[in-house]
Amino acid sequence: MSDIASSAPARSANFLSSFSLRDAGTLIGLIVIMAVFAMLVPGFLSERNLINILQQSSINACIALGMTLVIISGGIDLSVGPTAAIAAVLSATLLVAGYPVPVAIMAGLGIGMLCGLVNGVLVAYVGLQPFIVTLGTLSTYRALALIYTGGNPVLGIPATFRSLFNGSVAGIPNSVIIVAIVAVIAWIVLKKTPVGEYLLAVGGNEEASYVAGVPIALTKITAYVISGLLAALASLILIGRLGAAEPILGNLWELDAIAAAAIGGASLMGGKGSIIGTILGAIILGAMRNGLTLMNVQAFYQLLATGLIILVAMMIDRVTRGRG
Amino acid sequence: MCRPLFGPMLRPRNASEMLMTTRLRFSGITKTFPGVKALTDVSFEVAPGEIHALLGENGAGKSTLLRILSGVAKPTSGEFYVDGELAAFKTPESSRLAGIAMIHQELQQVPNLTVAQNMFLGHQIKSAGGMLVNRREQERRAAEALAMIDPTIDPSAPIKTLKVAQRQIVEIARALLDKAKIIAMDEPTSSLTPAEFESLAAIVEKLASLGVSIIYVSHKMDEVFRICHRGTVMRDGVVVGTVDLRETAEADVIAMMVGRELQHEEHNSHVKEDVRVDVRDLSSRVTHVRDVSFTVRRGEVLGIAGLVGSGRTELLRLLAGVDPIATGAVHVDGRELKLTNPRSAISAGIGLLPEERKREGIISGRSVSVNMALPSFGKFSKSGLVRHGTVKTRAEELLKRVNLRPFQIDRAIRLFSGGNQQKAIIARWLAAGSEILLFDEPTRGIDVGAKSEIYHLIENLAAEGKSIIVVSSELPEVIRLSDRVMVMRNGKIAATLERHELSEQAIVAHAVGDAALKKKSVQQEHNHV
Repeated sequence: MSDIASSAPARSANFLSSFSLRDAGTLIGLIVIMAVFAMLVPGFLSERNLINILQQSSINACIALGMTLVIISGGIDLSVGPTAAIAAVLSATLLVAGYPVPVAIMAGLGIGMLCGLVNGVLVAYVGLQPFIVTLGTLSTYRALALIYTGGNPVLGIPATFRSLFNGSVAGIPNSVIIVAIVAVIAWIVLKKTPVGEYLLAVGGNEEASYVAGVPIALTKITAYVISGLLAALASLILIGRLGAAEPILGNLWELDAIAAAAIGGASLMGGKGSIIGTILGAIILGAMRNGLTLMNVQAFYQLLATGLIILVAMMIDRVTRGRG
Repeated sequence: MCRPLFGPMLRPRNASEMLMTTRLRFSGITKTFPGVKALTDVSFEVAPGEIHALLGENGAGKSTLLRILSGVAKPTSGEFYVDGELAAFKTPESSRLAGIAMIHQELQQVPNLTVAQNMFLGHQIKSAGGMLVNRREQERRAAEALAMIDPTIDPSAPIKTLKVAQRQIVEIARALLDKAKIIAMDEPTSSLTPAEFESLAAIVEKLASLGVSIIYVSHKMDEVFRICHRGTVMRDGVVVGTVDLRETAEADVIAMMVGRELQHEEHNSHVKEDVRVDVRDLSSRVTHVRDVSFTVRRGEVLGIAGLVGSGRTELLRLLAGVDPIATGAVHVDGRELKLTNPRSAISAGIGLLPEERKREGIISGRSVSVNMALPSFGKFSKSGLVRHGTVKTRAEELLKRVNLRPFQIDRAIRLFSGGNQQKAIIARWLAAGSEILLFDEPTRGIDVGAKSEIYHLIENLAAEGKSIIVVSSELPEVIRLSDRVMVMRNGKIAATLERHELSEQAIVAHAVGDAALKKKSVQQEHNHV
């Protein structure tokens, strides 16, 4: 009786085996949406448009990866948009002032991590609820970005910086490559490092994790710092594309990121989430917007469609849960 | 408006009711889930005013049967009758209306609401044409019901200010409000002290004398034999038999439950010479544990007994670094520890196996092997990456050693029985290399068969030279396992009893303390046994 397991094939945590049933569901959802648009929109499945979809999804995917880790830890980060704005205006100001590109990038990413650190410390050490903490910093960080710039956009970002984030290699946009690399790293963090196990444990049962010796505070702070870092990275991609940094950029980014993570299988109760799922979730949202835009559907209806897709995805999730 | 609290069927048994001798009759109940047959042809009867024990190991099908009785689940085939009428419940509400009440192990109450609000939850008494809740009338009726069983409970007190035992009584009073004819109690005493059990027993017996039928599910054999009239024993979804408990020996019932005889086991001592743990004048910063000093040797099992609230669990939490220490010191192998959090205790080789496994022990959605490896992921990593191969090998080795069943180390731990979850936590500390294991109620909620497995594991660990502290409310368990027993009272050590001094009477006497009470409790203990 106890020998059942030994006859089963040995499983190791490789990329394929981590592709769960839930991820397969997300993938099917994506395929269905792609198929529908392929029928409705000529040229939707062209190579150029597919790359477009990936590029348009890349910023949300980048934010959503950090969000996924925070959500898995049992938290939420509503402050990603303003964090991105702070990073964007700081990097842009330094670039315009003539500082070298690497310095500006490091400063942007650094301030993003600092924003995350503040969130993390308030959650982990002060013991405030993540929703409230990041709701507070959502306003605070936005205000800081506006105060810093006087509300004006920072214009004239040099071409060297722009080509770094807005260029392409062998036809694939750099932003897509950057986010793909980030996704692989996030996957490794979640699946292969102690921090990943700690994130899942803390989100699953904080008290039991504490008794078992998991460093709770450090784990939570790590998640928020990563989220801040990736928000900053996303903002650099955006200002590379636009050539300007506005202090109001990143408005409502948090909602898209949460949506992508949730569609991908992250549970807002914590302890559950998938990197692959989140990426697929971001692409689903990106493909929807792309398809509807190509169909000349008004923005109002695009918003409606986004809302409905989230609700439908969650209902399917609810109905199918527990059968895996 | 002023309905009498007890309907006609709750009158003491009289001639007309003697004709109808069956309150509840299960007839050929079968329940299958995809791939599993949870219940097979279950048939038995419960008489009015009978306290009927439902016995069996975890997974025997008791819970499934209760779920069917309470309308949560429907039988695949078969039916059951309440007072001779076919019960076809589609929802829990229809079961409630038919006079069936469930008292769950984990009470389903809203902490912030008052006693009365909880008792009328979902069935509020309305006034002003249904617009408003008539709180005063609710509290009056609640007080009326409570007066029957425990008049000391204030219906307007928030439920969270009550002790678990009182909250249970509120649930029973709620069942009375619903004019319940059948009350099913699932492990009602799992967190009650012996004294609280006595008052619960008195209430249950009173209800029975009024004609209410009680279905009593418990793993505690002494309690079952103390208050139940008959018992139905289930194993693997089948009724093994219904016995008159007043004419049946406990060992026979246990044999029916596990399907084999459990031999009475002797205590084996493995105490070595050298002292491993030396605790001096330890006091807690957040609880009433004060000035506790003791030592534990290598290979020794130190039992800690005492009433609930005597500071036993709190002492373990201090040693495990969960609660902060105010004053005093803990030495391990002669070295003073700096216990600031569980991590510091774990690195000193101390592992806690908490009583509330679900809340403090396991990450329910994660696999057994992850739950096992949780404190040791640092150890299992190389240059920042977890070596999953090593984790797997170690998990297979250790989980085999503790005899995890079924042996599926990648399966979510919540799908395992309490006993197997406990085995996984034991494996956790073996993996972490812990030499000092702190068991808080090691067999709470664990069935009879797995219990003796856990006992053997604890004994084997001691034989290996590990130092073990066992906190337990079950006196036979403490006596079975311990080389020495420390009795706690009001946060302090009341007495330390050597192996040859151990008896239930002696432990209870020291736990209660007062000389006058001492006699009484010994007396009670006699009645108990």
